[in-house]
Amino acid sequence: MADEKDIKTITEDTSKYRCPIQKAILFLDEFIEGPMCAKCLPCPMGSYEMRVRCKRLAEGQGTLADVEAIKNIAPIMFEASMCKKGKDTAKFIIDTLENLPGVYEAHTDGNCPDKECAKLTAYRVIGDKCTACDECKVACKDFAILGEKRKPYLSGYYSYEVVDVRCTRCGKCAEVCKYGAIEVVNIKDTLAVKA
Amino acid sequence: MANLITIKINGTEHKVPEGVNLIDAAQSVGVHIPNFCYLKGMKGIGACRMCLVEVNGRAMTACIMKTKDGMDVVTDSEKLKESRKFVVDLILSMHPLDCMTCTKAGVCELQSYAYEFEIKESSFSRKKFGFPIDDKNPFIKRDPDYCILCGRCVRVCKEQGTSVLEFYGRGVGSRVTTAADKPLQDSGCTFCGSCLDVCPVNAIVEADRWRKGREWQYEKTESVCLYCAGACDIKVSTHKGDVAKVCAGGDDAMAEHFICALGRYGFDSLNAETRVLNPLKKVDGTLQETTWADAAKIVSEKIKGAGSGILTVSSITNEDALAIKGYYEAAGVENLVASVSSYSDKASLIGDAVDVENADLMIVAGLNPNQWTRFLPSIDALIRTKADRKAKLVVINSEDAKIAEIADVVLSGDEASLLKSLAKAIADAGLALPAGLDVLGASVSEDITKAAELFKNAQSPVVITTPQLYQAAANLALFKGGAVSVGYEANSKGVTLMGLQSKGLKCTDMVEGKVSSLLTVGHGPLPGRPKVDFWAAIVTNMTDVVKEADIVLPMAAYLETDGTIVDYQGRLKKLSKTVEPLGQAKPVAAIFTEIAKAAGKDISISASEIESLAKETVKVKAAPFEKRTDLHAVSLEIEELIQAHIVNGSRLFWLKEVQKVAVS
Repeated sequence: MADEKDIKTITEDTSKYRCPIQKAILFLDEFIEGPMCAKCLPCPMGSYEMRVRCKRLAEGQGTLADVEAIKNIAPIMFEASMCKKGKDTAKFIIDTLENLPGVYEAHTDGNCPDKECAKLTAYRVIGDKCTACDECKVACKDFAILGEKRKPYLSGYYSYEVVDVRCTRCGKCAEVCKYGAIEVVNIKDTLAVKA
Repeated sequence: MANLITIKINGTEHKVPEGVNLIDAAQSVGVHIPNFCYLKGMKGIGACRMCLVEVNGRAMTACIMKTKDGMDVVTDSEKLKESRKFVVDLILSMHPLDCMTCTKAGVCELQSYAYEFEIKESSFSRKKFGFPIDDKNPFIKRDPDYCILCGRCVRVCKEQGTSVLEFYGRGVGSRVTTAADKPLQDSGCTFCGSCLDVCPVNAIVEADRWRKGREWQYEKTESVCLYCAGACDIKVSTHKGDVAKVCAGGDDAMAEHFICALGRYGFDSLNAETRVLNPLKKVDGTLQETTWADAAKIVSEKIKGAGSGILTVSSITNEDALAIKGYYEAAGVENLVASVSSYSDKASLIGDAVDVENADLMIVAGLNPNQWTRFLPSIDALIRTKADRKAKLVVINSEDAKIAEIADVVLSGDEASLLKSLAKAIADAGLALPAGLDVLGASVSEDITKAAELFKNAQSPVVITTPQLYQAAANLALFKGGAVSVGYEANSKGVTLMGLQSKGLKCTDMVEGKVSSLLTVGHGPLPGRPKVDFWAAIVTNMTDVVKEADIVLPMAAYLETDGTIVDYQGRLKKLSKTVEPLGQAKPVAAIFTEIAKAAGKDISISASEIESLAKETVKVKAAPFEKRTDLHAVSLEIEELIQAHIVNGSRLFWLKEVQKVAVS
């Protein structure tokens, strides 16, 4: 357990996400993996259960009952856990619930307001902005981008496309696009079938 | 006795002892605080969070919290109910909900709490792990899927020194397992079943309990096991006239709350194929069935007057002992010997009443109890448990005693001279040397000084020792504390007090043919037929040796008879009849009444006589520091011979074979 993280480091790590669900999943994963001692019952079982629920929400399978469950578990876990670590974990979840009201519920409708839950989002090329420079296609490990690099001696070109079924939502394409031509949208707003 | 203080429980004021934990304190005034992981008598670990209570407005675990004056405890607020319900709910989410066919239904604590909190079905996602079941042995079945991770079995196993079980993994997916996840028989398990007694759910259960009746159908009877000198309290559950299971009896919180595999599973031998059901007599070299009247007549004609003898084991009740004595007097039998006389006499066995349970220092001299070989296992477990619960331990032994591995001070060498040196060191440490004690010429080493220091600081030291060393060891009790002499059979003290020590010849003389007709009671360590003209045996089970008897009378086993015994600590314990004797078997007392009737005599036993005889204690006197050489020590081999009929007629035979293979 040499590289075990403490609660503080884990909390800092979660700042790479904006979506509370993603934050919670990362936190709970790291917590169950690392600092959790599991000497008492509410903390390991509560963490485990909340992780199950959060993952379901993140995958678009969640319902309001899952949100209710999380809302029930966190305060009791905060009360009943033996040590500070369990209490801190519960507190973290409570904070995400309180600071960002409605976000958990939004996930039950298949919306991720922060566009970070992979199963609820899709990547799409904005045709007007795309210059067919081929950067995104090079960056994509999953061969999910279709298109032909623009040749200077040819007039006219087709904008690139993201093939949703191949896309793994790694976000590399959006990173390399200099023109901001790749956007993340709710999967519900696309015609694509859920991957 | 701790001071009584006043605390408020749910608004009413109660007087409770100071410094005990809240669960016990509340229980003493009739308030039950729910818990899974707390075990009475053991330190609380606060893991299950079921026992959360509000102390002066703050949530605390009742199993760890000690009572202090002026506490205001709320055990049952809405908030607490909510959090308890939450814990049960979470546990139910990973529990197979098959209460309708579960063996432990009715005594399952999870079930009763779920009922109390009105939970029908877990509101959380179902988790099923599908762990492998360990049912490779005929004693204990472990099914980790049912486990609620309370850790009781792990702690009870650690406390008594066997340390077989341990948690593996962490969090929800963890489970209780053995070292390297081997089956129990390969992991040093003694199959004492302490884990069975404490498991609140169906995770650990007797292997043969399936379809042996439900828990609420059982009749539970408190009794005493007579298989060895431990004379443990047992709780016997019977169903439809059959023994279904045997559990450790007595008070849960005591270190004595333990029974070994023999006591727990030995009841198999009651219904074994080897069981003698009818009186038998030898006709033309083979044993044929006969009637009680006929058999009793033959015995009464042979066992009387000169040249006759009665030899009895000491694992019989006081009533039996008095009946034997009554017949011996009425029929004018020449010799009467109990096996207790071969390893002890009255002076080396009977002492003051001593409370081993509350001792804070134990000095084990010359005794070599061992759970693993099942030689006085309950005494071994008692010592280890008490040592784990902060009592100090000094072991004095000339041999290599297994109990020494947990001792604070080990003194190896000649016990008598070590005891003498210890007495001298105690006197040097500042305690007044009692009158009549001779410690001249004793040399004191560093270890002995350490032991003396422990003795000096102890409130109530207890010396546990063998009859051979009792008189020497009891000298320490003259300083303070007490001394206990452990006989090798369940009722050795009772039989001695009833006056059966030895009237006439010695045990060995009887067997060697100094008498012409012999009546033996019980299964003694007989290597073969005694060299006598006529041999009648009163036994429970048939063995190769008993086959050579002229008359065999069926005797009721200890679970089939009422009576009293005096255990090694001098307490009068009561046996209760749990099942009817099988076939035509009768208790020993009834058999001797029958034989006396056939001889035209009448013997009577009165309960008041037993009580007055059993009360006798002997004040400790100063004695020379010597090991009695006229008494034999009972070795493990003899103990095994005595117990052979139980082992061969039960599941324990399997264990013996497995251990044999493991050793070779």
